[in-house]
Amino acid sequence: MQAAKIRASGMFIAILGAFAYSVVAIAETTPQDASDYRKSVMTTLKGHIGASSMHVRGLVDGQEFLVKHATGLANGVSELERLFPAGSNVEGSDALPIIWEQPEQFAAAIEKAVAATRKFAEAAESGDKEAIAAAFRDVGGSCRGCHDTFRVPQD
Amino acid sequence: MRARAPFLTTIVTAGLLFYLSDISVAAASADETLVERGRYLVHAGGCITCHTEESADAVPLAGGYAVKSPFGTFYTPNITPDKETGIGNWSDEDFVRAFHQGLNPDGEAYFPAFPYTSYTGATREDLLAMKAYLFSLVPVRKEIPPHDLPVYMSSRLAARAWQLSYFDAARFEPDESRSAAWNRGAYLVRHLGHCGECHTPRGTLGALLHDRELTGNPDGADGESIPNITADRKDGIGRWSLSDIEYFLDLGMLPDGDFAGGSMSSVIEDNTSKLTREDRMAIATYIASLVPLESE
Repeated sequence: MQAAKIRASGMFIAILGAFAYSVVAIAETTPQDASDYRKSVMTTLKGHIGASSMHVRGLVDGQEFLVKHATGLANGVSELERLFPAGSNVEGSDALPIIWEQPEQFAAAIEKAVAATRKFAEAAESGDKEAIAAAFRDVGGSCRGCHDTFRVPQD
Repeated sequence: MRARAPFLTTIVTAGLLFYLSDISVAAASADETLVERGRYLVHAGGCITCHTEESADAVPLAGGYAVKSPFGTFYTPNITPDKETGIGNWSDEDFVRAFHQGLNPDGEAYFPAFPYTSYTGATREDLLAMKAYLFSLVPVRKEIPPHDLPVYMSSRLAARAWQLSYFDAARFEPDESRSAAWNRGAYLVRHLGHCGECHTPRGTLGALLHDRELTGNPDGADGESIPNITADRKDGIGRWSLSDIEYFLDLGMLPDGDFAGGSMSSVIEDNTSKLTREDRMAIATYIASLVPLESE
């Protein structure tokens, strides 16, 4: 009887524990977290773009590394659509309100970036220098176009 | 004998026709070359950025863009060849005088919102190529609203008085001690591209402070702070390589991979990205040679 009681309470504790774990596993992202995360991802994109541009300009060797940067860029950009949750326009964020006021226009701009970076990753894989340069130009155009409309102008 | 005369006439006529058609083909292709050269120079001159209204369906160069300055709001004119609302009635002399002297076809002074202060250095040849291109465009009938200026600026006499104090009409003089690339860059930066109109700070009544060339303007148009682009390592772009500058002018990418946006974005779109790589490198060569100066 005693043993059964212990087993039952052990089971109860285990269930409680699993429940508590599942609560922890679903992150409670604050607006500040969302903004910080967005900045971190954008910084990695910036790094991949800066590095890729040096490959495109012929300033460094190693096509296999261009492939890594181009792929990293495409992977990061594929996450853009989830980086702008409502309310994440906290103080210090460079995101302009138009992002949430014109969601369709914003989604179209992101779709363009996704397509451009995917194409750039494919071009990098192919090793075709002209295709790489042309695709990178489109990547630049999509970054610039998006920042022009949706980001606070930088000094 | 009588039979040969028509034969000879035919030969001569055919020859003459062939000769004339050859001339007209040559003339047409010379015109095309001039128009094409003009198209390139209109990009290098940054005309489209200011002479196109900010709306998705705006016709390029038909004017109406509002230049908001500390001295009031200027509405840029329609420079398509429409005879009533554009520049369709302008002669070559009218066109050249506007750029070299800052005067309209009636001899009245332009306000320096039209950067003739920089364009004055452009060659007559380049200006006439630009005119040939502009006159090859479809004329657009579009009335532009009058400038919205304070009372003391309501007369063009005010602009004339300003010219007498601050404007020096002079063509670009190449510096023989410098490379061809440097001179080409100097011509593009100082004159056609009129970079200083935004990047050089202004003193009394908006006159450019030439001894502070391209050191930035904290009070730029539309409240934008315009960066220092001298080679100063702290405030300017002294850490940028020539390739970095050329690449920025092509794609708008900063050396760290960021894309800054702002008003330079439309300059890149309409002007510098349309230039040849050689011209962008020439611009970079000139800019990198500027005396490094800290921002004030």
